[in-house]
Amino acid sequence: MQENVIDQSKDITILELLDRVLNKGVVITGDIVISVADIDLVYLGLKLILTSVETMQQRRLTTIKPNQPQK
Amino acid sequence: MEKIIYAIIANAGKTEQVNDYVTNIRGITGSNLYALHFNEISVAVSDFQSSKFIISKELAIDFARVIEELSQQLTVLPIRFGTVVKSDEIVKQLLTDNYNAFRENLLKVENKHEFGLKVIWDYDKCSEKIRSKVESEEINAGKYFSKSTINTNYLLEKLKKHRLEDAVLKHVELLIEEISRFLAQINPDCKFKKMLSQNIILDGVFLVEKNMKSEFIEAIEALKQQHDDLHFLLTGPWPPYSFVEIQIDK
Repeated sequence: MQENVIDQSKDITILELLDRVLNKGVVITGDIVISVADIDLVYLGLKLILTSVETMQQRRLTTIKPNQPQK
Repeated sequence: MEKIIYAIIANAGKTEQVNDYVTNIRGITGSNLYALHFNEISVAVSDFQSSKFIISKELAIDFARVIEELSQQLTVLPIRFGTVVKSDEIVKQLLTDNYNAFRENLLKVENKHEFGLKVIWDYDKCSEKIRSKVESEEINAGKYFSKSTINTNYLLEKLKKHRLEDAVLKHVELLIEEISRFLAQINPDCKFKKMLSQNIILDGVFLVEKNMKSEFIEAIEALKQQHDDLHFLLTGPWPPYSFVEIQIDK
């Protein structure tokens, strides 16, 4: 279980990192910027895996929480 | 040779020190990283031949590694991955044309870390608790309808559903208010979206003074202890990606 949680955390960190690198920061557009092909594909891949974060977390909540003491 | 731009850097007039630091970092695809300067700001770039490399997730992660290494010693504004221009001259022009905007934004993020926080709940489980509370409050059908028909039953069901959604939203609003109030002791700049989806009730980013990093992490830990039914997903510290507010169209 612990290993699984660590794996999930690593995946989530990478997703968060990709979200930042691809969607945030200074945006420069226009004729001076050379269009780098395939970035859209990275975006697409990111969107697909982002939806899986929710599923992953939900599974984690339902599998871990019942064993925790209730307050 | 084409150039890929990584980050805008505050140099505080110490361009030699910035040069030394930047050139010790490896750029993506094994390239040499170097800095160009204009007054008190610099920019980190490296050679990049866009036709030669396949843009991939791994390359984007490596790009983030460069920004992370730069931010360990310098105040930076990350540039979005994939910004490639034809020459150093164009990079320098970008620097001079946008000097004031870069400088203002650099001041805003100086000595600060970004943290990401997603608050996740099990919608079905939590809404079930709220449902039992909502359903205990009887709806007075006579207030809305003069007589009971199939249609009124349908509308009553709709009304119940609407009341549940409303109650869930109010519950989320209260939770977010409580979390924001609790984190206000650290005084971070923050941006957040509520109910990003049914399960992610808060998706926020926080800009925290570097010397308040431990306090911020402790505050999140304390929130975790207080809310057994919520999952707090904290990531960071990050370079201040989400607090860059510059868009240039040339």
